[in-house]
Amino acid sequence: MGTNDQTRSLPRGLRLVALAGAAALTLTAGLATPLDPAPRQARAADDGKKVLTVAVAQSVDSLSPFLAVRLLSTSIHRLMYEYLTNYDPKDNHAVPGLATKWEPSPDKLTWTYTIRSDSTWSDGKRATAEDAAWTFNKMMTDDGAATANGSYVGNFEKVTAPSPTKLVIELKKPQATMTALDVPIVPKHVWEKVSDFSEFNNDKSFPVVGNGPFVLTGYKADSYVRLKANKSFWRGAPKFDELVFRYYKDQDAAVSALRKGEVSFVAGSPSLTPAQADSLKGADDIQVNDAPGRRFYALATNPGAKAKNGEKFGDGHPSLLDQRVRNALFMAVDREAIIDKVFRGHAVEGEGYIPPRFQDYFWKPSASRKLAYDPAKAAQLLDRAGYRKNGDGKRVGKDGKPITYRVLCHATDPNDKAVGKYLQEWWGDLGIGVRLDCLDNVTDPWLAGKYDLAFDGWSVNPDPDFVLSIHTCGALPATPKDTGATDNFICDKTYDELYARQLAEYDPAKRADIVKQMESRLYDLGYMNVMAYPNAVEAYRTDQIKSITTMPAKAGNIYGQDGYWSWWSAVPADSGDSSGGSSTAVVAVIATSLVLLIGLGTVVAVRRRAGADDRE
Amino acid sequence: MTADATPALVEERQTAAGPRVRKRSAYPRYLAGKVAGAAVSLLAVLVTSFFLFRLIPGDPVKTMTGGRQVSAEQLAAYREEFGLDLPLWRQFTDYCGKALTGDFGTSYQFRTPVVDKITEALPNTLLLTGTAFVLYTALGIFLGTRSAWRRGGLGDRVNTGLALTLYSIPSFWLGLLLIIVLSVGIGPLPGLFPTGGMESGGEEGFAYVLDVAHHLVLPVVTLVAVEYGQTLLVTRSALLDEMGSDYLTTARAKGLRDDLVRRRHAVPNALLPTVTLIFINLGRTVAGVILVETVFSWPGLGGLFYQALSVPDLPLVQGLFFVFAAAVILMNTLADLVYPLLDPRVAR
Amino acid sequence: MTTSTGTAPSPRALARQRRRASVARFWRRYRAERAGLYGLAVLVLCALLALFAPVFVGSDVSSVTEAPGRPMQSPSAEFPLGTDQFGRDLLGLVIWGSRVSLLVGLLAAVLSVAIGTLIGVTAGHFKGWYATVMMRVTDWFLVMPTLVLAIALVTVMSRSLTTIVVAIGVTTWPTTARLVRAQTLAVETRPYIERAKALGGGHWHIMSRHVLPNVMPLVLAQTTLIISSAILAEATLAFLGLGDPTVVSWGGLLQDAREAGAVSAGDWWYLVPPGIAIAVVALAFTLCGRAVESVLNPRLGVSR
Repeated sequence: MGTNDQTRSLPRGLRLVALAGAAALTLTAGLATPLDPAPRQARAADDGKKVLTVAVAQSVDSLSPFLAVRLLSTSIHRLMYEYLTNYDPKDNHAVPGLATKWEPSPDKLTWTYTIRSDSTWSDGKRATAEDAAWTFNKMMTDDGAATANGSYVGNFEKVTAPSPTKLVIELKKPQATMTALDVPIVPKHVWEKVSDFSEFNNDKSFPVVGNGPFVLTGYKADSYVRLKANKSFWRGAPKFDELVFRYYKDQDAAVSALRKGEVSFVAGSPSLTPAQADSLKGADDIQVNDAPGRRFYALATNPGAKAKNGEKFGDGHPSLLDQRVRNALFMAVDREAIIDKVFRGHAVEGEGYIPPRFQDYFWKPSASRKLAYDPAKAAQLLDRAGYRKNGDGKRVGKDGKPITYRVLCHATDPNDKAVGKYLQEWWGDLGIGVRLDCLDNVTDPWLAGKYDLAFDGWSVNPDPDFVLSIHTCGALPATPKDTGATDNFICDKTYDELYARQLAEYDPAKRADIVKQMESRLYDLGYMNVMAYPNAVEAYRTDQIKSITTMPAKAGNIYGQDGYWSWWSAVPADSGDSSGGSSTAVVAVIATSLVLLIGLGTVVAVRRRAGADDRE
Repeated sequence: MTADATPALVEERQTAAGPRVRKRSAYPRYLAGKVAGAAVSLLAVLVTSFFLFRLIPGDPVKTMTGGRQVSAEQLAAYREEFGLDLPLWRQFTDYCGKALTGDFGTSYQFRTPVVDKITEALPNTLLLTGTAFVLYTALGIFLGTRSAWRRGGLGDRVNTGLALTLYSIPSFWLGLLLIIVLSVGIGPLPGLFPTGGMESGGEEGFAYVLDVAHHLVLPVVTLVAVEYGQTLLVTRSALLDEMGSDYLTTARAKGLRDDLVRRRHAVPNALLPTVTLIFINLGRTVAGVILVETVFSWPGLGGLFYQALSVPDLPLVQGLFFVFAAAVILMNTLADLVYPLLDPRVAR
Repeated sequence: MTTSTGTAPSPRALARQRRRASVARFWRRYRAERAGLYGLAVLVLCALLALFAPVFVGSDVSSVTEAPGRPMQSPSAEFPLGTDQFGRDLLGLVIWGSRVSLLVGLLAAVLSVAIGTLIGVTAGHFKGWYATVMMRVTDWFLVMPTLVLAIALVTVMSRSLTTIVVAIGVTTWPTTARLVRAQTLAVETRPYIERAKALGGGHWHIMSRHVLPNVMPLVLAQTTLIISSAILAEATLAFLGLGDPTVVSWGGLLQDAREAGAVSAGDWWYLVPPGIAIAVVALAFTLCGRAVESVLNPRLGVSR
């Protein structure tokens, strides 16, 4: 028999393990209640600090401003570093940031910025024009440093800092976007020590030297980003002492955390779902901010992908080259139903390319030109274009085969999948088949032009240049092997001429007028069919945040603003018991001893019982 | 049926019963064989991790630079930086060579060495799986033994039924329900536990430990609930097999007390197959935790794997796949090595 | 043999008779397994529901444009399980979803067991290097983390039901292969195989006529058990967003519910029924599998 001393003790040992396990479970379970007095008031940490906790769903890609492209990371950089200019929270016009004044030369090619003298880095050194010049020059000369924001300096000829308060940027061509350079200015004396910009993530030593309203003090991947208020911020110190971005992979978890007071704010990615918003509306001490968003949600059509050298590639359906077909397809999309059923009212029906939130640039088609929902007319249009139904009720292409469009959709976006189901039925009624290609990563077929239609959407900046630029011929890839900045390979001469004119137009009103003409052109072409402008749906606890600035000030969003207004302006709710730093400790001690007692008791009790079992 | 849990051993037993008689020095040779087998498996995993993920459609360089204007030269420069310009076989040999020295390259999306990224998340995953593992193994063995002793009784039926039911429940669904009931709170029931994550952030010292423990409860309960059933069933069946054995009847006939017979003879022997299962479970759980990590926003390897796949962040995906498979291989080998030490009938 | 007729029956008829008798014997023993009977009853019910779903609920239950209700309604007389985010009837969707979930589970299990049986029987029959290589491959698949491998496979292929079936089938066969091989080895030592060989029976003859019928019961038990895990796996993959979003399945419904934010909104009626359906069917298959196993091997029957 192999059973001797060694094995004899096995069962008893295991039993002990079981007991320990059970005890551990009771222990942790017991801990729960006392440690978590439901909705915690204003999150007063140990020393009475006011902490603002924001639930985010995105993980940080990099904390280096030269590498970061995700919204969360760039928002954090807004808080850590001053940019040359900022946007007014009321109406988005450019306001002073690190620069107090700016002026173009008469030939439109030289911009001179006056740098403020009252901004200091968190290590005590003054922030100067030299820092700004160094940042831009680094991006112009080092490929690694140009990774994220290189496009801003593409048209720069030369950047110099003749004095600590004067920054001069010389351009190759006139550029109207010089007050919208969203580039974090970093301290030269810290960053010049970095050897490889493509690998440095700025997340090893804390606090990170900066001059924004907050200073980065801690980061743990996929857990949290922690910032503390910069008391010497030139615009004035933030009202909260600490700002924490906490990572919730699951949006439901984030919403529940808000409900319980674990976090003060939930942004959602990109927004809360209608069900979540509706359920939060009824909750105590929670304010749902349902504001016009800055995004448009569109159906992009493949216009036959081609490169600048004229080479064609991809395999978009040839029938889509006919404007009548594109218009007919869009006329069979019931946008009201999408707003009503998919967004459940948390969106505005799409019209022009730029959302109404940016009122200066907003354009919409006149009633007569509008491609309103009209399936019967859509069917006629298709008939006229020569795509008639065959015996099975399917419309056939010029090649004689029934038409089935491949619609590229983002597997991670519920709206894409939902609208896709509607498209299948609406277009199915027209006699056109739809195959939804839902992928985690749509980049590849997208860049290769291997799709027919695609769900598309962009967040629009206060300066619309970027979202306009992605539809110019200049944005096409040089050859099929390159990657262009183009969104979906649109290349239209009329549009391009207008684009060039607006970029060189330094008068805002005239520029806005040209931009509207561009939108009108885009609408008629039918390659970008804007279905909706989704609202920013977010929520916060009113017992933790008393007030917070939205952007635009009336009816605007809080998370992902252009600027640091929301977190900088947030005022903590005054709560009587937020002084209870020490009382939390007391509760914790009592709770722990209680739990230890319970745990011990359980162990003893279970052992007794187990012993009784053994005896039988 | 322990066969599916201990396949290697079923084999071993069969060959051991053959004409080849194993003599004294068998264990070292057995050991060498198993270790060599594990090494081969690891190499095979290395090969798969390289080729399998190359099949994911998508040019990683284009994905990385997606939406930005990049010239063919820049793309080429990126390819060169990540070694994607080399012929496949060169990439492969480079990959293997580096992997053998513990270097899995640099993550495309995080621009950090893959090893750093993994060592960052691994302790979190181990904390979660380790705690759950100890608990469900203990619970499974404890209840399994009790069930076997009272075979056919009400306790046994309830026990087995419950184990089978929980075993059939999708873990992510159970996790979501637990969040609704115990975390969000239903009706008068307040939410007792955090909804996700591993820490509130900012706690230190003992408060930090408590905080993490607090966050650990729901994911651990989920894992234990869906996992303990298997251990229970295997323990129970092994014990029942053992209890029918002749030597136990002999022992009883000699007048040994019943519980002594059980504890000294039946249980230790019956636990042998369970030991194997335990090791295999440990390896498996590391990879199987993906779902629970997703539901509870746990910052572990599972979430990382999922993020990496969608890019595809090839170096990270490869590294993680290797870690997942290596965990299983390591534990299986350990099981193979420990088993004969416990059971003299095998390979001695 | 229990039956005998006056005239001597042909060998073929004899074999058929014998088979029928053993099926009857099997059923008699199976009937004694109460849990297995419950499982079987549930399965029959589910299969009927799934088969006749077009009659009960109609195929337009999954239509979004003709959804009868408002989005996310709680249970009412009109919609016993409430509605989903499109305003579709959830009861109808759960019934409709059973078709895909059961089909995928079934196909994946069949694929998995077919691969496993093929490799198991051949590796058991042909010894030597073929068996060694095959068993190495099996071992190697056995150590692959199943879920990770399945996720990877689905990512590599395009999103469709076929992909899911293949991903599950390809990752779950090794257990079957091992069990079948062990059984094959045992069968091949029996004297009548020697006799068949001596009479000049080829490999194919021996494998298909003698080995396969003998491993069939094991294969059957294994299939039932694997269906259960295949249904869970389908739900898991769909839940992770790797399924075909245009197809209604139980896992897909759970994924929809989660994406719609039903968890934090407390809309339990959206979340609970598909989960219960998955659990009930998976449990039923497990119970049947265990019952089959214990019938085939009484000593094991008390266990597992």
